[in-house]
Amino acid sequence: MEAYFYSRLLSKTGGNKRMSSSKFQWLSSIIFLYLVNQAHGQSRGVPHDLNCITHNLKVWDCSWEALPTINHGTYEICVINSSYPCIRTEKTHFEIPALTFADHEIKINSIHVSGNSVIKFILNERNVSLVPATLQDFNLTADFSTSTLYLKWNDNGSVFPSHSSVIWEIIVQYKEKMEVATVATLNTTLIGKDSVHHWNWTSDIPLECTPHYVKIRYYIDELHFFGQKEWSEWSPLRNISGPPVKENYEVFPRDKVVPVGSNMTFCCVVGEPVLSAQFGKESYSFIRLDRRSVAIKINNITVSPSSGTNVVFTTKSNLYGTVVFAGYPPDIPRKLNCETRDLKEITCSWNAGRPTGFFGPRGTNYILYERFSGRNVTYGRAEEHMNAIHQLIFQMITGQEIYNFTLEANNPLGRSEAVILVNITQRVCPHTPSKLIAKDINSTAIFLYWHLSGNFANINLLCEIEINATYSGQELRNITVRGLETSSYHVYMDKLMPYTMYTFRVRCSSENFWKWSKWSNEKHYLTTEGIPSKGPDIWREWRADGKSVIIYWKPLSLNEANGKILSYNVSYWSEEKTRYLSEIPDSQHKAEIKLDKNDDSDYIISVVAKNSAGSSPPSKITSMEIPNEDIKVEQIVGIGNGILFHWNYDPNMTCDYVIKWCNSTRSEPCLTDWKKFPANSTGALVEYDNFRSGTRYNFFLYGCKNQKYQLLRSILGYTEELAPSVAPNFTVEDTSSDSILVKWEDIPVEDLRGFLRGYLFYFEKGEKGTSKIQGLESGRSDVKVKNITDITQKTLRIVDLQGKTGYHLLLQAYTGGGIGPGKSMYVVTKENSEGLIIAILIPVAVAIFVGVVTSILCYRKREWIKETFYPDIPNPENSKALQFHKSICEGSSTLKTLEMNPCTPNNVEVVETRSVAPKIEEDTEIKSPVTDGPEEGSDAEPENHVVVSYCPPIIEEEIANAGGEEAGSSSQVIYIDIQSMYQPQAKPEEELENHLVGGAGYKPQMHLPVTSTIENIITADDLEKTAGYRPQTNVNAWNLDSPDSPRSIDSNSEIASFGSPCSINSRQFLIPPKDEESPKSSNGGWSFTNFFQNKPND
Amino acid sequence: MSQREGNKVDLQSHSSASSFPHLEAKIRQTHSLARLLTSYAEQLLQEYVQHQGDPFGLPSFSPPGLPVPGLNSPAPTRSGLPTLERLQLDAAALNSLSPLLDTICHLQADLNPFACRLLRRLEDASHQSRALGSAVEVVLGVLGAAPGPPGPHPILPESPGVFLVKLLGYRVCGLYHEWVCCTEGDLDQLMQEGLG
Repeated sequence: MEAYFYSRLLSKTGGNKRMSSSKFQWLSSIIFLYLVNQAHGQSRGVPHDLNCITHNLKVWDCSWEALPTINHGTYEICVINSSYPCIRTEKTHFEIPALTFADHEIKINSIHVSGNSVIKFILNERNVSLVPATLQDFNLTADFSTSTLYLKWNDNGSVFPSHSSVIWEIIVQYKEKMEVATVATLNTTLIGKDSVHHWNWTSDIPLECTPHYVKIRYYIDELHFFGQKEWSEWSPLRNISGPPVKENYEVFPRDKVVPVGSNMTFCCVVGEPVLSAQFGKESYSFIRLDRRSVAIKINNITVSPSSGTNVVFTTKSNLYGTVVFAGYPPDIPRKLNCETRDLKEITCSWNAGRPTGFFGPRGTNYILYERFSGRNVTYGRAEEHMNAIHQLIFQMITGQEIYNFTLEANNPLGRSEAVILVNITQRVCPHTPSKLIAKDINSTAIFLYWHLSGNFANINLLCEIEINATYSGQELRNITVRGLETSSYHVYMDKLMPYTMYTFRVRCSSENFWKWSKWSNEKHYLTTEGIPSKGPDIWREWRADGKSVIIYWKPLSLNEANGKILSYNVSYWSEEKTRYLSEIPDSQHKAEIKLDKNDDSDYIISVVAKNSAGSSPPSKITSMEIPNEDIKVEQIVGIGNGILFHWNYDPNMTCDYVIKWCNSTRSEPCLTDWKKFPANSTGALVEYDNFRSGTRYNFFLYGCKNQKYQLLRSILGYTEELAPSVAPNFTVEDTSSDSILVKWEDIPVEDLRGFLRGYLFYFEKGEKGTSKIQGLESGRSDVKVKNITDITQKTLRIVDLQGKTGYHLLLQAYTGGGIGPGKSMYVVTKENSEGLIIAILIPVAVAIFVGVVTSILCYRKREWIKETFYPDIPNPENSKALQFHKSICEGSSTLKTLEMNPCTPNNVEVVETRSVAPKIEEDTEIKSPVTDGPEEGSDAEPENHVVVSYCPPIIEEEIANAGGEEAGSSSQVIYIDIQSMYQPQAKPEEELENHLVGGAGYKPQMHLPVTSTIENIITADDLEKTAGYRPQTNVNAWNLDSPDSPRSIDSNSEIASFGSPCSINSRQFLIPPKDEESPKSSNGGWSFTNFFQNKPND
Repeated sequence: MSQREGNKVDLQSHSSASSFPHLEAKIRQTHSLARLLTSYAEQLLQEYVQHQGDPFGLPSFSPPGLPVPGLNSPAPTRSGLPTLERLQLDAAALNSLSPLLDTICHLQADLNPFACRLLRRLEDASHQSRALGSAVEVVLGVLGAAPGPPGPHPILPESPGVFLVKLLGYRVCGLYHEWVCCTEGDLDQLMQEGLG
């Protein structure tokens, strides 16, 4: 019971592991008791740990544990209350058929030497484990080209109840280390009988690279079995080894074709160390798989070149490699189209689409399959070009019009297909028509033949004929013809022009238009001649002498001539007679008829053109014109290459209008060409290829009344005006001091090249050769221009010019086309003598006038001037030098100074050195005229010699008494060169020195420190030699800055003079004081004083 | 004096006086042909590697010489042979090379169907190899030396794999170049010995 109890517990514990945790303590107690029992039982050698499993749900295999000491004994196993007989065995397990789902008491009686012991177990299906039998028999194969393992096994389902689910677990291991490559599970269902199952797996690594091992186990999930279900044991390992390594086959996979973007592993199996690995031009680091194998892994492989991408492994002694081809599966064929050219063969064409990147044996193969007939055609090794057109030809089946084509494309990476269903009679694109032939019917109709191969007997053909003629352009004519079996076709072509070279070509389609065939070759054909359709265009001109008339005609155009014109027949007639000229050949297009213009007879002249087919209708014109006295010459300018004429509508004009023209410079008869316009027209554009710009044409407009022409207008015209080509020739007719008369000539018409609008005359003052007038720079103020718009004017006088001045002249003519070149000339105006005279006299007169006025003013204001400029000076009586004067003049009521007679003149020479002019303190108001002069004069005129003649009343003794050398040397006072006072020209120093040295007259004794030069000149020795007056005043004490002194004007100038260094005495002689009693002496310069003094006395 | 010079050929003794100029012209003509084919063979080799992908075109590419059954590189020891015997070997090798080049041409037509110039050069090389071999045999015949026995027909392995095809082609083109060079040298030697 204990065993039962424990066994039940065990079975519960082992079979149901879902024991709740709340019973944990209780369970622990039970286990403890169980372990005690176990120890007790073992000690006694009884079975324990009965364990039952089943492999097939039919037989239970039970075993138990027992001490080895009793193993040599015998066990008797009985199922209590069962029909199963008891089993005797010496082993510790037994098999019994599967028992029903209930508790069964198992009694195991251990029979051994030491005694028997019985132990009972309660056995239930729940205590039995279902462990499927190990799968021993399965088939493992490999496809090395695809690196795929194929596993095949039998599920042994016949021994299990059907509908049991089975889980299969497969493990693939590789390398020597038995790394797991993949683990896969597979679910199947048992069907009550043995079934074979398949499983395959593709390895990333080529199977040749390293051994691969496979094992499998399974688990049966039988719903009606309540015992424990367990996985079977793993099957024995099966391995797939690569093929034995042959020479040169060391790199795997070999010549693999893979899609672009694939990841691949390449391995090299060799017995020597691999040094490097290379994919294309890139080197890769390799992975060691095992002792003899290394690999490289390439990701995202790009498209390969034509010969594939090389994978190379290098060892020390050798080089091993393989090639991989990476590309694309075939694209779906694009633009699949099936049509026929002859209803015998069907041509299916398509575009391959995206290139696969494969060539040769790996290129795309195409199969064209027709479903209705079940026939197909193949196309292999397609060339790989983007947008390349491929085609297959399928032979048509008699009577079949509907075709259902499937085009399949395949290459090592896959396949694709396109389908098209066509009614072939509506997909006819005939062959190119050939053998084009033309046969004439008449001058305007022909038959056109051509050949077309193909079986078109059951359809109509639509053909297009292109007709090209040189002068009539292109024409297309469509015709429908009944189809034939490879035959010739012909068509009637009418409405052609005679004598015209035509070019024909043909193309055809089916009446149910699909596509045109290609154009046939061109056929050139010349139609036969017909009679000229109209007479030539004629005109007539009278000779100038009026003795004959010339009839002109124009050649007929090709479509008018309808053939080659052979000759012309000219005839003329009046009321009395008809005359014929001889036949005129085609090369000649005019004829002269002797008629008298003064004869009143009017002739009708007729011209007829002839070719091989006949004569044209006659063209007629009368010989005489209707006179028109009211003709004015007009001017017109054209538009480019033509001239547009307008005229008023005249209902009297019943025939037509004619405009004839000629070059105006040509001699008579004036006829270059003519054009005729309908009678109802009111204008015309005359275009002529030979019209030239700048050429003057005479146009004459004629109207036609009752077949007689009347001149309506005479017009001078240019199609386009140009600027004159030459300059007007001009000459200078006359020049004066202020004007130029220019005269010019007309420009010849040929050179004018337009209607003259005027002249431009430019003139510019300037020297010869310096003119820029040719440039005619507009806006230049120094260039004057005259626009002469009166074209009849031929002269021009230019006035308001300057005398004896050079002028540049330029004359240009201009037309509506622009300004022509200019002719230039240089002219010098004559001298203006009167003006010169006036220019001289006026300043002189003004100067004289000013001088006179000044003199008068000075005279009238002499007292004021004197007071102003020559105030009294200190009495010089204290001067020793003038004592004689006092004694001489004492008692004299009247000054005798200027009384010349009787007088024995003595000479007193006054030497003036302006630069050293003394400044006498008492004489600060003395103003010499010299000071008004330029200061330079002071510098340049160091000395003036003035000799004043006077008459000393008492002479010799006084002078002698005056003692000194001065008296002896100055018996006379003489004024010399009084003008020099006012001419302050500079003198060279040498000259100055000479004067000083040579001078022996009066000299002031003052010595002004003016310049060193002068100071040096006036040395003591010199002064001794010049025995004259010298003031005893200390020069250094002079105030040079007296405000009234002119010196003050420029105080810095030491050479400034404030008056003549005149003798104070001399002023008394020259300017007698008004008030005689006043000892004041008037100051003043030499000259003015002299002037002013003398004037009143005069 | 080189080893070659020790085996001189007396052309005068091998031909009559009248046919000597003809023999001389023939040798010169054959020599010119060999020299021309030498340059063609170089161009063929360059053209060939350009179409095989890397590393064939790389300057460092130098695979070991694959054995071609029935045809070897010119042996270094052949320099000790008499000139005529060397020419016999040359003729035999050139004749063997012709079908090899044809085979390579066919193989390359699958690999590089659009490499027209390469295919044309291979085809031409086959013809030219045969022509040069025949010309050498004619010279040998005139000199009284019978052409050597034909060697075993070279056999290429079946379905060797594309990489091996490329290597074999490279090898055959190289052999062609080597043998043409040798032939040119041997003819040059013959001219120096007999005509100089």
